[in-house]
Amino acid sequence: MKRFFLVLLLPVVASVLFLAGCDQVKERPVLRIGYMNCNSEQETMQRFSPISRYLSEKVGVTFESVPVDTHEFEERFQAGEFALTHTNSLLYIVLKEDAGLKLLAADKRGHYGSRTAGTLIARKDSGIETLEDIRGKRLVFGPVMAPTGYLAQYDLMLQAGIDPERDLGYYAIPSGSFKHEKLIYGVYFGDFDVAAAPALDLELMTRDGKITADDFVILAQSQVIPYCTFGAAPDLDPEIFAKVKQALLELTPADTVEIDGERIKVLKSAWVDGFEELLDSDYDPIREMARRVNMPPYQTY
Amino acid sequence: MLKLSLTSLLWTLLIVATAAMATLLLDASGEDTQLRPASFNKAMERDLAFQARAAFLQKIYAPVEAQLKAGNPQSALLKLDEVGRNYPGEAHGFILRGEILRGMGVLDQAIANYVRALKLDGDYLEEAGPLSRRTEIRQLVDQGLSELTPRARSNPDNRSLATTIRELHYLQSRLAGGCE
Repeated sequence: MKRFFLVLLLPVVASVLFLAGCDQVKERPVLRIGYMNCNSEQETMQRFSPISRYLSEKVGVTFESVPVDTHEFEERFQAGEFALTHTNSLLYIVLKEDAGLKLLAADKRGHYGSRTAGTLIARKDSGIETLEDIRGKRLVFGPVMAPTGYLAQYDLMLQAGIDPERDLGYYAIPSGSFKHEKLIYGVYFGDFDVAAAPALDLELMTRDGKITADDFVILAQSQVIPYCTFGAAPDLDPEIFAKVKQALLELTPADTVEIDGERIKVLKSAWVDGFEELLDSDYDPIREMARRVNMPPYQTY
Repeated sequence: MLKLSLTSLLWTLLIVATAAMATLLLDASGEDTQLRPASFNKAMERDLAFQARAAFLQKIYAPVEAQLKAGNPQSALLKLDEVGRNYPGEAHGFILRGEILRGMGVLDQAIANYVRALKLDGDYLEEAGPLSRRTEIRQLVDQGLSELTPRARSNPDNRSLATTIRELHYLQSRLAGGCE
């Protein structure tokens, strides 16, 4: 009799456990991370899919990677599309001021850790030796929303009494991808006299042997300011927020995830050395620059 | 008479024993003089290696120092990148990077670089010597403690600040003579 009941109970227990498992899978939240495109959607996905997978494993939430163009980021974030964002530091400020984005952690890469600087460079043999010499010259900027490829240099010129709109011969912004490298090569090959180069790109290109320190003269350099930043939507569950932050700060170069059957190093894939916990006040120098240059989110007409 | 001769005998024995001991001591010191050149050479080799290393480092990092002296810290960092391609992970590179970053006000990274250097090579803490950076490290610790400790106290949950303070304390302990 007892055996009969046991045989009857076994499938019932198995079914309950199975359904409970299904419920758990069903209940696991799916959240989206908006990653600001640098060069292309394909590159963005390759770089950041491992980090989304890593966060999913650590936090117990399924994170989906979404590549986003800079100009449409704010609208899509305000529409509630993303729980997390990965943007440059100026866009972080825009999203914070306009939509309450919360600071999570900043990327670390290069000499200055979670910070970098904007430089104005010229070829060493160009005869341009000081910032004053750039009046009437051809200058190439990085993308308009780049903190150390546009904003910092525009501000440097204004601070030095040079109005880029009136005092330069002309200025341009390269099209397509790899804009920062393009503008450094633009000066190197003589298409432009001066370039607004991020210190980080000079560093990376020197390290790779693409340029040498003797090729250029650094005419001016901004103070160091935060670099790319992870942020969270204001309504994100505080428990998830805390877990994401901890997972990012604990991420080491040895951490790997499996993508399409391949073991990938998370940090190396993302071109990042690690993450750092900054204070929102660390971004104040960028806010001051944006106000002086009349850029979002403080732009007035 | 017998008493006197006994005393003389004792004196004679004492003199003989003393002479024998002196001979033994002289023999022993004779062995030392034979060993001395070997230990002397060892010390000389060590000093020569140290001097040669210091001279070599000063030579290969001269372009970095030159940029620093000319007031171009960013170019100095780029020169460091160039040197680093041939000598990655060299302690002297971390020392110079720490020095440049401190000058630029990037204290947390300056501290991290000095820590990496000292973990690789403690010679930089020697009071006298061509590589000594003891004074600079002491100044960095003082600056770090006055600027970063209040910031860390106001943000006790900030893990990155806590890491920097731990590194600062590491430098402080090495200055005080603490080992790894």
